[in-house]
Amino acid sequence: MRTKRLYTIVACLMATLIAITAVAQEQQRKVTPVKPNTNKTLTPPKGTPEKIINEYLSGDTAQARAQERKDSLAKIYPHYPKLTEFSLGLNFGDLLMTAFGQKYTSVDLNATLNMWNRFQPVLVMGLGRAKDTPQDMNFTYTGKLSPYFKLGANYNFLFKNEPRYQLYAGARLGFSAFKYDITNVNIDNPYWGEYGNSYEMKGVSSTALWGEFLAGLKVGIAGNWSLGWEVKFHGIFKEKKNENGKPWYIPGYGTRNGNWAFGISLYYTIPLNHDRWPVKEEKGKNKQVKSNDQIAPPIR
Amino acid sequence: MTSKIKYCACATVMALVAMVSCNNDNCMGNSTGIPLAAFFNNDKKVTISNLTVYGIGAPNDSTIINNTNANQVYLPLRITQTSCQYVLNYNTEGIENDTLTFNYDIIPYFESRECGAMYNFKITSWEHTYNAIDSVRIPDPMITNSDVVTINIYMR
Repeated sequence: MRTKRLYTIVACLMATLIAITAVAQEQQRKVTPVKPNTNKTLTPPKGTPEKIINEYLSGDTAQARAQERKDSLAKIYPHYPKLTEFSLGLNFGDLLMTAFGQKYTSVDLNATLNMWNRFQPVLVMGLGRAKDTPQDMNFTYTGKLSPYFKLGANYNFLFKNEPRYQLYAGARLGFSAFKYDITNVNIDNPYWGEYGNSYEMKGVSSTALWGEFLAGLKVGIAGNWSLGWEVKFHGIFKEKKNENGKPWYIPGYGTRNGNWAFGISLYYTIPLNHDRWPVKEEKGKNKQVKSNDQIAPPIR
Repeated sequence: MTSKIKYCACATVMALVAMVSCNNDNCMGNSTGIPLAAFFNNDKKVTISNLTVYGIGAPNDSTIINNTNANQVYLPLRITQTSCQYVLNYNTEGIENDTLTFNYDIIPYFESRECGAMYNFKITSWEHTYNAIDSVRIPDPMITNSDVVTINIYMR
């Protein structure tokens, strides 16, 4: 009797459970209907590169989306080619200063290779000389025309912009081997009554190795011509010791008193791989830099 | 274009002004190499009362210091000879004068544009009498234009 009643209860419970499940499934279908729109054709926006369209059509959506991401980054960080441009510069700051009474002068040619519009290895070669007979002093200093060399690099902070406008910081290692004369020396020794003593030091040779940190600005003025200004902080690492003194003027470095120097240069720039430069595109009033072959397709 | 040229000219002029104004025209030392002698007693600097110092052979018997209290004195070296002598007169009864003799090499030297060309000296040997002087020490024989004590005279 009891067993019969138990079977009845179990059967009722099972029927109830099945009924509840069926109702729940019916409700789920109503809440989240699936639209059968998988056959809808998406049209890519105008201007989407054919390569990306083909990748989507071939089913390689991962590749296409990676390309999309790359392109959107390229919008923010325009990529210049490895060899962006080559500049030849003439530093004429010291030449100008001789017109203002500076007693030494130097002129140098610098070659700069602009890589990715960021890193710029620089080679500098120049000549310097000095001649000074200071008032109320007892000597004439003649720094003979001597060469100097500098090797270094710049980093362009405006790498997103056109290379015509650059704001950079850099470092240089400089070296010069040079000779100088000290003449017309006149020394008096009043206590001992020794007046009019004189000596000459001719062809004193010396070498100097120095370093520079610099900040500079380069502005395109017309066509491929640019003007540049540099402010330098420099210091002597090593120089040849001489029993008869230290040179007053070091070609390429300047005078040894003071750690600051300035330079003004005129540059002529030759663009390299110009076809791979990001192109400037105007949209109404807003200018936007875009890469030649990189247009981001908003396919989703 | 014209505004760009104006900016460029302005930057150039500013750079030139900065270049002109960045000059340091001071000589921090003497105008020639000169020894500075200081008096010591038991490694303490002492002042000698009523001291007269003069060089033997100086024109008109001129003195370097005359009857003065001094704890140090400049002793200018001759530049036409490689030796010179000085007399230290203590102006005190019972203490005889002392004589100092220095032998040296003369070295032409260009210090800087501000200090000029000068002579440095390298002391090769020295002698002295022992009336009031106990000993003389010269730690660095190179005499330059630096304004530092180079000769230590130890008194009895």
